Amino acid sequence: MKFNLLNRSRLLLQSATPVLETIAELWTAWSRQKLPLYLFLALCFNLIVAPVVYAASGNEFSHIQAWALGLLGLATLAISIYLFFVMFIPEKF
Amino acid sequence: MNTRFSTSISTSTSTHASRSPGGRRDDRKHIPKADRKGLYQRAIRASFTKLNPRVAVRNPVMFVVWLGTIVTLLVTLNPNLFGTVQAEIGKQRLLNGIITCILFFTVLFANFAEAVAEGRGKAQADALRSTRSDMVARQLLPDGRIQEINSTELRRGDQVKVIVGDMIPADGEVIQGIGSVDESAITGESAPVLKQTGTDIASSVTGGTRLLSDELIVRITADPGQGFIDRMIALVEGAERTKTPNEIALTVLLAVLTQVFLIVVATTPAISGYIAGFLDHAVGAAAGNSLRAGTSIAILISLLVALIPTTIGGLLSAIGIAGMDRVAQFNVIATSGRAVEACGDVNTLVLDKTGTITLGNRLADEFIPVNGHSVQEVAHVCLAASVFDETPEGRSIVQLAQKLGAKFDLDESAEGIEFSARTRMSGTDLNGQEFRKGAVDAIKGFVRSRGGQVPTTLDEAYEQVSRMGGTPLAVCQGNEIYGVIYLKDIVKPGLRERFDQLRRMGVKTIMLTGDNRITASVIAKEAGVDDFIAEATPEDKIDVIRSEQAQGKLVAMTGDGTNDAPALAQANVGLAMNSGTQAAKEAANMVDLDSDPTKLIDLVTIGKQLLITRGALTTFSVANDIAKYFAIIPTIFAAAGIGALNIMELKSAQSAIVSALIYNALIIPVLIPLALRGVQFRPLTADQLLQRNILIYGLGGIIAPFIAIKAIDLVLPLS
Amino acid sequence: MLQGWIQIALTLLILVAITPFFGRYIARVFMRQRTILDSVLNPLDKAIFALSGVRAKEMTGWQYARAVLYSNLAMLVFIYLIFMLQGSLPFSPTGLNAPSWDLALHTAISFVTNTNQQHYSGETTYSYFSQFAALGFMMFTSAGTGIAVAIAFIRGLTGRPLGNFYVDLIQSITRILLPISLVGAILLIAAGIPETLAGPAIVPTLENPEISQAIARGPVAHFEIIKELGENGGGFFGINSAHPFENPNGFTNLIELVALLSVPTSLIVTYGIFANNLKQAWLVYSIPLAILIGFIVITTIGEYQGNPAVNALLGGQAPNLEGKEVRFGWAQSALFAVFTTASMCGAVNSMHDSFMPNGDFVTLSNLFLQIVFGGQGTGTAYLFTYLILAVFVTGLMVGRTPEFLGRKIEKREVVLASFLILLVHPIAILIPAAITLAFPEQLAGISNPGFHGLSQVIYEYASAAANNGSGFEGLGDGTLWWNLSTSFSLLAGRYIPIVALLLLADGMSRKQPVPATAGTLRTDTALFTGITAGVILILGALTFFPALALGPVAEAFQIVKGIG
Repeated sequence: MKFNLLNRSRLLLQSATPVLETIAELWTAWSRQKLPLYLFLALCFNLIVAPVVYAASGNEFSHIQAWALGLLGLATLAISIYLFFVMFIPEKF
Repeated sequence: MNTRFSTSISTSTSTHASRSPGGRRDDRKHIPKADRKGLYQRAIRASFTKLNPRVAVRNPVMFVVWLGTIVTLLVTLNPNLFGTVQAEIGKQRLLNGIITCILFFTVLFANFAEAVAEGRGKAQADALRSTRSDMVARQLLPDGRIQEINSTELRRGDQVKVIVGDMIPADGEVIQGIGSVDESAITGESAPVLKQTGTDIASSVTGGTRLLSDELIVRITADPGQGFIDRMIALVEGAERTKTPNEIALTVLLAVLTQVFLIVVATTPAISGYIAGFLDHAVGAAAGNSLRAGTSIAILISLLVALIPTTIGGLLSAIGIAGMDRVAQFNVIATSGRAVEACGDVNTLVLDKTGTITLGNRLADEFIPVNGHSVQEVAHVCLAASVFDETPEGRSIVQLAQKLGAKFDLDESAEGIEFSARTRMSGTDLNGQEFRKGAVDAIKGFVRSRGGQVPTTLDEAYEQVSRMGGTPLAVCQGNEIYGVIYLKDIVKPGLRERFDQLRRMGVKTIMLTGDNRITASVIAKEAGVDDFIAEATPEDKIDVIRSEQAQGKLVAMTGDGTNDAPALAQANVGLAMNSGTQAAKEAANMVDLDSDPTKLIDLVTIGKQLLITRGALTTFSVANDIAKYFAIIPTIFAAAGIGALNIMELKSAQSAIVSALIYNALIIPVLIPLALRGVQFRPLTADQLLQRNILIYGLGGIIAPFIAIKAIDLVLPLS
Repeated sequence: MLQGWIQIALTLLILVAITPFFGRYIARVFMRQRTILDSVLNPLDKAIFALSGVRAKEMTGWQYARAVLYSNLAMLVFIYLIFMLQGSLPFSPTGLNAPSWDLALHTAISFVTNTNQQHYSGETTYSYFSQFAALGFMMFTSAGTGIAVAIAFIRGLTGRPLGNFYVDLIQSITRILLPISLVGAILLIAAGIPETLAGPAIVPTLENPEISQAIARGPVAHFEIIKELGENGGGFFGINSAHPFENPNGFTNLIELVALLSVPTSLIVTYGIFANNLKQAWLVYSIPLAILIGFIVITTIGEYQGNPAVNALLGGQAPNLEGKEVRFGWAQSALFAVFTTASMCGAVNSMHDSFMPNGDFVTLSNLFLQIVFGGQGTGTAYLFTYLILAVFVTGLMVGRTPEFLGRKIEKREVVLASFLILLVHPIAILIPAAITLAFPEQLAGISNPGFHGLSQVIYEYASAAANNGSGFEGLGDGTLWWNLSTSFSLLAGRYIPIVALLLLADGMSRKQPVPATAGTLRTDTALFTGITAGVILILGALTFFPALALGPVAEAFQIVKGIG
């Protein structure tokens, strides 16, 4: 049992470097790829929005529905911001 | 005055001068023997690859539809995702599924429209690309040695030797030699073109064309990848496509409309939710729930898609690309969409007389004797002075003289005197006799130098010819002036009508000519131009353009010589002839591969057609909203008791939504041919055009969807 | 019936008849030509310029816009302080103290923006000093601001430099608003409107002389005329022009009706003189005039026919007189309601809440469109912005880059025009209305739930965003939420469009004009005027179709069917 644990921790240590590398790689990929980053931020922000939706609606929505609605609201806001960008710098589109 | 005779010696490189302007498009040759097979398969494939968000984000209206499709897909998978549905869940899922499919097809149709338009350009580019391949060039080193290198290594300023049968490795200027070149790869014209050093017109060669005879030394004028064909490929392929000013402004309007309807639709659930709450109490839960079902997320997205201007949003880029393509089919290469659009805005056309308004060749029409000579005598001298003249004018003089019975025996001692810009005359020396013909002033000087007298009747004859709009040439033998040849300028057939059309469209034409005032005014009247400038120098051209532009007008012009380059650059639309110099081609924003200056008139039409197509489809798209509103709103709010507004008597909310969306999706492919072909253009005044187009696309845009949506509703098996 | 129609026709006739004269006069004032009042007013102007240190320097669009914003901000702070300190300021016979901060803020914003939306009753909330020094002062300056902006816009469109905001503001007050108000106030006093600093009159009641009654009064007459002329609409008393001291008889009603539409109608003619194209001016004039007449017909028919439910009880047809003053009757009440919402005045002589759904539909539509002559100055500017949009949408169809008055409509113009005319209004109305309606119990304070309640909420925001200020009434709108959320609509509906208008005009004035040819789209034709009307209806009104459908339209069907 003990041996097993030790072994595992050594394995973990050995695999730590590639994991870190992968994280670094992911990070650079992320800084290049904006879309996943924005999606992630939206999901994080929704952690604040969803409870507000849930609280405001009374008992009308389930947790999942409140979460989905929060996300839909954020998406609508995002499209609206995107359209403002199109309006003011249409050359880029 | 000095430009007048240059045409009589130029070895007529423009072989198209005799074609009537604005002839049927079928008569015109198409450059690209483009492979249009498989165009649609490729377009269908491209419609899917364009779903990539990075590409889709460039079209705001369709991007919103695309995002909407994803949301409706989610509510198809789980109809309860955004709130418990008030209808039967299976039915709701079916409806959501249908909506998802239609929205998806709407996006695909829009992508397809763009892909078809692009595909036509791509096919052309492929045809052009096939003419280009890496080849070995003979570089001429400064020490005179010849080194064989790859053509891609050639740089601007290098010199190469091209011998018969070779491809010319890159764009350049002939600096030594004479030879005929097959330019069919770019012009589609099979007759070889003579290239020689020195002359403005015929010294530029294009990479990818083939030398058919002799050998040339060429100085390279373009770095690899920047040659004429490279630019042409990039242009027809749309690689450098940027939005034109009008497209940008229209994009803004479409984004604003999308934003407005996004707000309208996003606020609807709160508004209808309040009413639903009221109906729960006032009428019963069934009524409230029915209103809630009518404003489910999928239906709201459908409402959004129906209201935002998807028709024009889906076709906008296709219209622009197709406009460029139409220009290319006219064998004209435009450097940008902006230039094509500017054609429609042109207020003033500045046209050279010779070659544009009149046929390049003037023909001898009459001999006018002076100094008491008979017509026969004049004919004899004319014939003698012209036997060595191979220009069309010279040949027409010979023909006329022979018709009048003149004969001339050539023997070996006869010697042709070539025309030169300095002497401004040509002729024949035979046994000490000097036969000359040329500009009246030049002949006067020649006769005086030989001790002869200038008869007073010469000036009368000269003026008589000028008044008839012709070019007078004096003929003499030794120190004796015999008479004047009346060279008749022939206005191209059909031009008068074209100028009338242009005037009706509000486009002014200005003719530039080196002729004197009297001649110029006669030709101007005959051709029907609005204004003319006689005895014009190349500097006059640029002055005219500047003064018109100072009044806020847009000016178009054609040119081919190096001294036209500043004017071509100054003009808003500069159309250079392919036969022209490299300098002219670079200064212009369009190049005509057929070297037919009359095409400028066609380009105005194409530019206008492009703008009209855009305006017509925008109007149509916006006008459609009335019917879509009247189809959707009364049915989805039916529970609020406004069912009577359902003036189309659509079967149900589901059927109304699906019918409106099907119409919305199908109208895109239905209008693709119109977008690609362009709205039919008629040369009418602005008011007449507006009246006509507002009837078709404005009123039609209001009525058509009412009929179509009702028809789809009748056919649909939805209840 | 006939008498009512004659009253309406006469009012319209007078209104149209004075337009060319008044329009010409305004044009002369702002083209710096001689006017009849020069001898009196030139020294006055000079004195004001010298005192205020204004130098008549030409302004760019952005400078003009900044001048509007800064001066309005300064005035906002000034009147807010007066409200909050009114307890210790003079002329307060009833000893009124400061109102709540949010009400004072809402009132201040509402008067700075020329809206005069009132979430209070004047006689019980604001002292005489607040009424004439703060509210009365703003009635002149906010109206003057509107005229100045319209003149700058017209100058820009016609290729002139925009001018100087401070000069335009001062001249619009000294040459237009003040002289007419002076004459009008005297006429109104003669017609029986009080003008006094004395406190409420305490009189014994007729029924029982033992019990006395306080009758509110004050410096009303001068307040009344600028309320109409400046399209302010903020009543001295809570019930506005329905109060017998604000609008005692048919004569005062006529003066008020004509005054409240005179400036926006005349400004169109002013444009015609600036553009040297009176034909176009009258064609453009015909668009709002036709809509106005159509709206009057719709409203008056509804009011004349009365409520079917009431008629059934009466056993015969009777006009709807609920919420109306009998001295005005159905015709003049309906006419006033249409005029006041059309012109963004916002004064009322009857309760709009009590109108039949026809009236609800019309008054709401007026607020949505904003161009049925529209606000002081801004209405005219919006109308021409619609013209620019119509040129852009349909002008491409003649095969040229669209031009208006020889100036190309390009990206910048489309951004500004479509933004200010298509986008600001839905944002300022629909978004806060949706939030309010999502929480009807907590926020809305609706007195009449259902379709009518929906109209009440939408109306309140539309009135704020359009800077109209009339109330549908029946709404508990004195709350913190209402004060702050309508303040947002007031500010967004006023200043975003003004800045956009000025930048638009500035850009147009800098463009090189293109000479007109046969290929140029002529904008002074009947055809193009019709197209503009179509664009206004499709782009301007359809946006609010869902709200109208669930509000007045559904209510109309409800009344017909008798549900709910």
